[in-house]
Amino acid sequence: MADVLTAAALFILAATAVALFRVLRSGVVAERMMAVQLLGTGGAAALLLLGSASGSAAASDVALLLALFAAFSCVAFVIGAAEPEAEPDPPEERP
Amino acid sequence: MTLLLDLALVAWLLALAVHVVVQRGERSAIIAFLAFGLLLGLAWVRLAAPDVALTEIAIGGGGTGILLLRAEAVLRGRGKEEEPMTRAGKLAVAVGCAAISAGLGLAVLSFASPAPTLAPAAAEALGATGLGNPVTAVLLAYRALDTLLEKIVVLLALIGVWSLAPDGVWDGAPEVKPAIVPGPLTYLARILPPFGIVIGVYMFWVGADAPGGTFQAGTVLAAMWLLVMMAGLKPPPDTSRPLLVLALTGGPALFLAIAFLGSIFAEGFLAYPEGLAKPLIVAIEAALTLSVAAALAMLVAGPARKAPAR
Repeated sequence: MADVLTAAALFILAATAVALFRVLRSGVVAERMMAVQLLGTGGAAALLLLGSASGSAAASDVALLLALFAAFSCVAFVIGAAEPEAEPDPPEERP
Repeated sequence: MTLLLDLALVAWLLALAVHVVVQRGERSAIIAFLAFGLLLGLAWVRLAAPDVALTEIAIGGGGTGILLLRAEAVLRGRGKEEEPMTRAGKLAVAVGCAAISAGLGLAVLSFASPAPTLAPAAAEALGATGLGNPVTAVLLAYRALDTLLEKIVVLLALIGVWSLAPDGVWDGAPEVKPAIVPGPLTYLARILPPFGIVIGVYMFWVGADAPGGTFQAGTVLAAMWLLVMMAGLKPPPDTSRPLLVLALTGGPALFLAIAFLGSIFAEGFLAYPEGLAKPLIVAIEAALTLSVAAALAMLVAGPARKAPAR
């Protein structure tokens, strides 16, 4: 059973990896942002499978945090992307 | 099968690391670096170090990302007149980094096998502390002095950041809100923090008996607070606000107080009275969680940018 779960985790990781590199190479910032969301979903799924395979309960806590921070990190992109468009040369930044 | 999985994970990490380095745009590199931090969490789980995995995900996916992206937004367009780095310069940096990596790799490979370990001793004394998580026992009982100094260093770092504020806005509030707050950000800042706060409190509480603890919990809470501040739902507090100062210093102060009381009621400085170790450790952890959360959020928010409201 553990082998089947590990194989499933491996398959999910491989699929996520292929998709991740495809999305990361995209020219659109919003699409690159989705790469991290993809990693959050795929990584959490793989962690849950690995946790069941090895019987370690802590893996699900790690998956929980991964899901939370994948959602959170998309905020960072929103912030970084909004600044230059809104104000290309912010006057208060210049001393 | 697990070997195949580990090899795939290593290959993926290496490929992602190379991708980060060869990216031309800073923003793309930072985004890929964020993904790298999250993926590194998986590697730590495979190495049976869930405590490290939690920290790596919280720091790599939370604080570092915002810090780097904000720094990039400030620096963008500043060095345009300067010449780009020459090929020789890039080569020198590449050789230097490769040498450090190779040296680290050699050092790790030359470790004695089996490695000298204190793990059995740490597990044996676990009963005396009443804790279930040996990592927490190391952090707050066996090596509590290191943890105490570490928390004070965080405060010193914050003082360093705050001292960069200009005279006119001294004691004022930092500015983290972008010029225009996008609608989805406001939405996320309303939806995510309730979940995040529950997860943060859970991380703190579970830390006594399972992987988790103050630092992970503090990072989660700091990220949620930053989210609320960035969306402009609640502006950052003035750096001189008594409540903020209390939250920042409360943890280390309680830790120090209990440490000194240890030399009266127990065997010495930083010793816990028998039977009371676990409640005291949980109390210290609770106060430290708030301190770490406040300190990390304020570190990312940066020095004061607005005059104090008085």
